[in-house]
Amino acid sequence: MTENIDELVAAHRAETHKAPAHLVQQWHASIDEAAALERGREAAPRAGWHPVSFLFGMAVTAALALGVGIGYQWDKPKVLDLPPGHTVATENNGVAEPPKAVPVALARGLHYHLRESQQMLVDVNEDTDVTTMVLDIVEQNRLYEAAAENGNAPRLARVLRAFEPILLRLAADDIAPADAAALREQLSFELKVMLTKLARESSDDSQTT
Amino acid sequence: MNSGGMPTQADFHEAISTRSDRWYSACLKITRNPDLAADAVQDALLNAWNKRHQFEQTARLDTWIHRIAINAALNLIRKSKPGMFSAFEADYESDDVTPHQAWEEHELECDLAQALARLTEVERVCFVLKHLEQWRAREIAEELGLNEGQVKQAVHRAVKKLRISMHHMKVENYD
Repeated sequence: MTENIDELVAAHRAETHKAPAHLVQQWHASIDEAAALERGREAAPRAGWHPVSFLFGMAVTAALALGVGIGYQWDKPKVLDLPPGHTVATENNGVAEPPKAVPVALARGLHYHLRESQQMLVDVNEDTDVTTMVLDIVEQNRLYEAAAENGNAPRLARVLRAFEPILLRLAADDIAPADAAALREQLSFELKVMLTKLARESSDDSQTT
Repeated sequence: MNSGGMPTQADFHEAISTRSDRWYSACLKITRNPDLAADAVQDALLNAWNKRHQFEQTARLDTWIHRIAINAALNLIRKSKPGMFSAFEADYESDDVTPHQAWEEHELECDLAQALARLTEVERVCFVLKHLEQWRAREIAEELGLNEGQVKQAVHRAVKKLRISMHHMKVENYD
């Protein structure tokens, strides 16, 4: 019996299934990604913790939240007049109406954020700490994303969320200079497009009101 | 590996390059599903990376990840087949196969991998952990939520079934 077990064990030990090359590559990449994320998390508090900018950020967030709240209520005054238990959804045959436009306060703040980010990306030179800069942008981006989500602007939140992986890729250590430059150019272009769209939306809005 | 610190990114890359076949293979023997095995290794690597400060310098990084991968594989089959290890009694009854029946059932089997596939999940997992991964019966019992006696029985039955398969193969080879 012992001999048999030994034979079995030897046979099974010898049998090794080779991991497919794409999996091995994926495992290597996952360690790189985890390391890059960790570096990002470590860098963020060092770069981001300034009492003045923290207070400014809080003030901006509070103003945004207030603006979003006012904009939201302003946009849908009927809700306040409805009897209890009655919702807008039932008024529209079960289909909730999407918000018509990005709330003004949010749009204004977002415009500033996008313009600043775009400028930062254009101004990158060899002395720029790109990781810190990108993480600052990501942090601000998340604030606006949350504000958009709370302001019932899910499409805008999704667009802002889509920027994040590109930004994080830019912060990775292993990115080649040429790739980084191309990525910055792409980001700058995307931000410009978004700025134009926002400007158009707000001018349409002011014409209609 | 670097001395006197927790494993570095380079250590992980080296371990992946040299040992990932073994991790994948071990997970595949447990899950019998390439996707689950791949996920187990992926989970293990990220887990090991996030807990690398807990890594003991006296251990080997690849062995440590191997162990984590096995646990991840067990977790994944537990998730994909809830209650699998708790259904031990029903599983035990399936042992009523006579050697002759087993012989007939294994007629078409041509290698040990297939023989291993013929075992029940509990038998296979216990056999792999005990004999290939060299876990103690107590460790297996704790991990699978069984008692030591049940683990020993499962391993015993696995060996018995595999012996029949092996014998069959030997006869075939002589023919």
